[in-house]
Amino acid sequence: MADRRDFYEALGVSRDASPEEIQRAYRKLARTYHPDVNKAPDAEERFKEVSEAYDVLSDPETRRRYDAFGHDFRQVPEGVDPQTWARARAGAGARSGGPGAGARPGGPGAGARPGGPGAGWQAPGQEGVWFDFGPGGSAEDIDIEDLLGGMFGGRGRRGWGPIPGADQEFELELSVAEAYQGGRRLIQIAGPEGTQSVEVSVPAGVTDGQRIRLAGQGGRGTGGAARGDLYLVVRLKPDSRFRVQGRDIYVDLPLTPWEAALGASVPVDTPGGEAKVQVPPRSSTGRRLRLRGRGMPARQGAAGDLYAEVRITVPSTLTDEERRLFEQLAAASTYDPRKQR
Amino acid sequence: MTTALTRPIRLDLDSFARAAGLHPQLVRRLVALGLLEPVRDGSGQLWFTREELARVARIQRLRAAFSLNYAAVGLVVELLDRIAELEAERHTHG
Repeated sequence: MADRRDFYEALGVSRDASPEEIQRAYRKLARTYHPDVNKAPDAEERFKEVSEAYDVLSDPETRRRYDAFGHDFRQVPEGVDPQTWARARAGAGARSGGPGAGARPGGPGAGARPGGPGAGWQAPGQEGVWFDFGPGGSAEDIDIEDLLGGMFGGRGRRGWGPIPGADQEFELELSVAEAYQGGRRLIQIAGPEGTQSVEVSVPAGVTDGQRIRLAGQGGRGTGGAARGDLYLVVRLKPDSRFRVQGRDIYVDLPLTPWEAALGASVPVDTPGGEAKVQVPPRSSTGRRLRLRGRGMPARQGAAGDLYAEVRITVPSTLTDEERRLFEQLAAASTYDPRKQR
Repeated sequence: MTTALTRPIRLDLDSFARAAGLHPQLVRRLVALGLLEPVRDGSGQLWFTREELARVARIQRLRAAFSLNYAAVGLVVELLDRIAELEAERHTHG
């Protein structure tokens, strides 16, 4: 990552910000983007950026060097004049411009600071096993984080062993038809190496709120520990025709007055294609006709049902013939739907 | 819905500590503080589930990033779980 964001910019503070301002900005951003608080896949990267920025800017000495040398400050030997360095770098850049130009977080020197109270230590001869005695009792007044700087794990100074990555969540919006059919989908997820395409197999008949687990695709662990899992949380897009409730699907069934009165066999759209529905005679608006098993498919157990809801509609304009027949019907019928029984 | 994905594997204290990269003594302390809830069998042996590995990782991350003590971690973890629950509920009923 050659084009790294300026640390002041990452924290949203000015270059002459006081240490208190820097700490306040960091605390706020850390609470917003900590991977256990914010499940968005890009939150973790943001959190790391903010933590590294704070790590550097909270220490007056590293801040001074960062101000002088920018992201490369860790590679600059002690006592070098900033202007000499800038000239030398411009020359070297013109010649090679190759790797090594970017700063290396976690490079030499980064892990050199000794642990303080609460840091714990490694058991001799037992690699990867860590003791921790925590900031208990009186140590609570001291801000350990500020003593030791920076983010969790990673750079070996925090006293933690490897920590597995956090689980992340990603909303996967699907249309009703897509959820019905399932299948493979390519999704774009923001990660440390930019946006990443992941192919996901969506099971047929996923429901709103269902979680699809992608093992090992979540937040990065530190110190070689395993990555967390990425969960895709399915969100069904509202559909103009199909209303989904659990595994059941509701769809309007427009009928003419005579189809509703006499009964008919009419086609109805389902996410799985057209189906025939038998309308029994004397069906009023609101009657639900069930098509068993035509709802959302299920991986185990029975598929949901599809309900076609009768909705009687009349033509917006009547021909002379239609008007005459309706008038005849009106004269002959004694039916009054508003009469109480 | 995620329950179908759980593996019914139990870990004893030492394997759990090794898998979590922690000293068994620290694991015992987390249990004593109620941050982990293993099953205790008839002989007093502790048994941990795989999900508790994720739990302990979260505890470590939160503790390290916000310099929380274990009592505060317990509170934060509980609140985060409650928020997740409420959000899930709001999505299914709203």
